[in-house]
Amino acid sequence: MQIPESPNGRAPLLEARGLSKRYGSTQALDSLDLAIEPGEVYCLLGPNGAGKTTTINLFLGFAAPTAGRALIAGLDVSTHDRETKERIAYIPEQVMLYRNLSGLENLEYFTALGGKGSPGRERLAEILVEAGLERDAVDRRVSGYSKGMRQKIGIAISIAKEADALLLDEPTSGLDPKASNEFSGLIERLRKRDVAVLMATHDLFRAKETGTRVGIMRYGRLVTEMSTDEIGHADLERIYLEHMHD
Amino acid sequence: MTRHIIRKEFSDLVRDGRFRWCSLLVGALLLVSLGHGWVQARQAQQERAAAQATARDHWESQGEKNPHSAAHYGVYVFKPRLALSFVDEGVDPYTGTSVWLEAHRQNDFLLRPAQDATAAQRIGALTAAQVLQHLVPLLIILLTFGALAGERENGTLRQLLATGVGRRELAWGKALGISGALALLLVPAAAVGAAALVVGSPGPAASPFARGTVLAVVYLGYFGAFLALSLAVSAWARSGRTALVVLLAVWVVNGLVAPRVAVDLSKWLHPTPSAFEFARTVEREMATGVEDILPPDRAASTERLLREYGVESVDELPVNDVGVYLQESEEFGNRIFDRNYGALWDAFERQGAVHEALAVIAPLLAVRTLSMALAGTDVEQHRHFATAAEEYRRDVMRRMNGDMAANSPSGDFSYTAGRELWEATPPLSYAAPTLGWVLGNRALSLLVLGGWLVGTILAAAARVRRAEVG
Repeated sequence: MQIPESPNGRAPLLEARGLSKRYGSTQALDSLDLAIEPGEVYCLLGPNGAGKTTTINLFLGFAAPTAGRALIAGLDVSTHDRETKERIAYIPEQVMLYRNLSGLENLEYFTALGGKGSPGRERLAEILVEAGLERDAVDRRVSGYSKGMRQKIGIAISIAKEADALLLDEPTSGLDPKASNEFSGLIERLRKRDVAVLMATHDLFRAKETGTRVGIMRYGRLVTEMSTDEIGHADLERIYLEHMHD
Repeated sequence: MTRHIIRKEFSDLVRDGRFRWCSLLVGALLLVSLGHGWVQARQAQQERAAAQATARDHWESQGEKNPHSAAHYGVYVFKPRLALSFVDEGVDPYTGTSVWLEAHRQNDFLLRPAQDATAAQRIGALTAAQVLQHLVPLLIILLTFGALAGERENGTLRQLLATGVGRRELAWGKALGISGALALLLVPAAAVGAAALVVGSPGPAASPFARGTVLAVVYLGYFGAFLALSLAVSAWARSGRTALVVLLAVWVVNGLVAPRVAVDLSKWLHPTPSAFEFARTVEREMATGVEDILPPDRAASTERLLREYGVESVDELPVNDVGVYLQESEEFGNRIFDRNYGALWDAFERQGAVHEALAVIAPLLAVRTLSMALAGTDVEQHRHFATAAEEYRRDVMRRMNGDMAANSPSGDFSYTAGRELWEATPPLSYAAPTLGWVLGNRALSLLVLGGWLVGTILAAAARVRRAEVG
């Protein structure tokens, strides 16, 4: 098993070591080795069934690996469920919230469950605005929120939690270009705060714009990875398509 | 962390219009049924007390007559409505409220409210016990089916578990949050029930507050079992819809199918005669005797008295041989009644035991049995009163026949007694069974209900631990 080198020599916050997952006869993830340091945005690209969501589920402890380990800040997820989850935040394709609660109440709830204590309602309201929510939407019930607004609540949860690492599963899928761009801006701000980000996405453009590194997966294997500084949009698309053909 | 889940669950539910309307409806029905039950029970008890006083007055003012004629004149006794009967009227509407105590005969109870009820009343009658046994569990199901299945379906379960909250903490918090919302409904109802006992107990009972407390604990156990079961199903089901369908099926089996099956099965296993058959059997045995219980022989009785007193003729007897013979007839009748009524009551008890045993498939059967028992409206407590009434009848008959035998040695019926004898015959003094007696009789139901509570909690814990994220 090859432990990937950390580009800047910093201890990785998210790390996969020979991580594998099999569902029956299907090898959903095959010996994934990955290390993401603070301040890195690693985008996992690949078609449906490539193993992107499985990777995120293994980091979240929602599934047990068949082989290998998923580590968060050096702690094995399968043996340190609580400690590892205190360090991360998770934003799915659609951030689902409680319709009868306001945006602020949802944020209060998820932050309280994070276990680090609440910074207080005023600060939480500021965080919502910081995450891009309109001030007058803060106390409105989320039943009237758009998808973009709900994704911003997801970002606000990770800010309020002061998460060291962020796991994103197709977070911009279905967002309009403006909302998608705003979302990328928020990720960039978190990156600058040394948050390590692992983002599964289909969106090549967004991966190039937001990511610092890109990995392409197919059939559960990481077939290649590259730094986004080294390639242009067209290069990424070409490389991706090359790997999608047998 | 759990307190945050409780608080969120509570406020989420309270803001939910469906909860507000459902709980408003159930709460209103509960309060109305409690209030209506209390007014009705109090009124019935007052009427019975007045009727009992009138019956006593009739007894005491029946005028000069032969004591055996007075025994035939008889007296009515009225079964008191016990303190908690306003919560659960149990079998009271079917067992009758009054019995006429007369010589030679153990009569059936009269005045069954169910007989007088119109069809519309039968459909519309809703007691607090029915609301607690049927509607509150339905409300629990409606509040709980989506607790985990709904979170999974909506995608919030992944986000919740990603925060680090454990499945068990989540389920525990939800259970307590839902319980808090239910408390908004149940605490006022319990307060109204307690206030009703304080303001004016409808009728007598041994330790009504202790009975009321145990009744509340029994219902809390029942609701707890439903809550845990609903959580277990919600953790198991792939979708909220599946959880709801499964839980509604459980509710139908528990509330509608199992009671019907229990009635039919218990009657099949332990058949009881119809009222007509029973009366004919008693009549036949009273006429001819049965097995070793034979009717007294007037001549043999007289012969025995003559021998006993060493005299030649009835005129020389210091006692009235007719009075003695009448008491022997009473005692013969008593044995026939004991044999038949005893068998009937025993059959009812065995039927009740079938209901209690079947509670392993439907907790309603256990809670219904316990509810009626604690309210003092079950078959056993009707039997308790019927037995007391019958003992009283026998005592009255002994007094009448004894007075006749002792005071009319001439042997004719011209002897009369008056108000002094009637007043010397005490009225029926009935003491309702104690709480210990009630619970001792219902140990099986307590055990089964406890088993349901523990079993459903364990099932919920197991299912929650394995609940899929989705």
